Amino acid sequence: MLKKLFKKSGTEFSPPMAGKVVSLDQVPDAVFSKKMVGDGFAVIPSEGKVYAPVNGKVVQLFPTKHAIAIIDESGLEMLIHVGIDTVELKGEGFVAHIEKGSEIKKGQLLLEVDLEFVQAQDKAIITPVVFTNQKQYQSIEVVSGNLTIADTACIIRK
Amino acid sequence: MIKVVMASEHGLHARPASEFVAKATQFDSEITIESNGNEANAKSIINVLGLGVQHLDEVIITATGSDAKDAEKALAELLGASHA
Repeated sequence: MLKKLFKKSGTEFSPPMAGKVVSLDQVPDAVFSKKMVGDGFAVIPSEGKVYAPVNGKVVQLFPTKHAIAIIDESGLEMLIHVGIDTVELKGEGFVAHIEKGSEIKKGQLLLEVDLEFVQAQDKAIITPVVFTNQKQYQSIEVVSGNLTIADTACIIRK
Repeated sequence: MIKVVMASEHGLHARPASEFVAKATQFDSEITIESNGNEANAKSIINVLGLGVQHLDEVIITATGSDAKDAEKALAELLGASHA
């Protein structure tokens, strides 16, 4: 019901992972919490599956598979960064289903991540989703709560 | 134009890329970063990440503008040991 109230003045954006959506200030890494990479939201995932939140293209899949940069059909740039300091895992615990340059459709499975393994390595699984070109939007309104990938995690106002 | 070798063990991932772009944005010059035959706008995170610069990759930074020399020097220092 609440979602309908937001519907009018912006683009709705779904979370790439099911879980608890929170604001970026909950991320224990200043690169994200201080919005150095851009504004957005974070998901504390309940399931280790990352789905495409938009139709678009994979601009970069890190060799360590822990982060994906995407540009959607409208040109909106975003980065999905699975976990914090997960670059140090060197790809272990991650399985990619796409590669750099892949065209993707909303809802498509992009990555699988072994959340238990990541946590066992003392890494936070909280996953920031940030819009990296701050000139592309005026504001991001986060819709917090336990969400599925069909829900709305934020409203992007351009 | 200045050439550097990427010093950071994990390459230009989210944290160093955001620091690099933040530094580049402080300069008025137009700045490009080039690696493995690809060129990117040094002031765009997604472009910089798209280069996929890895540890020990050669990176070329080229700035054009009033503060070009300072920009190249500062960015080269950020990435690693300078070679030119």
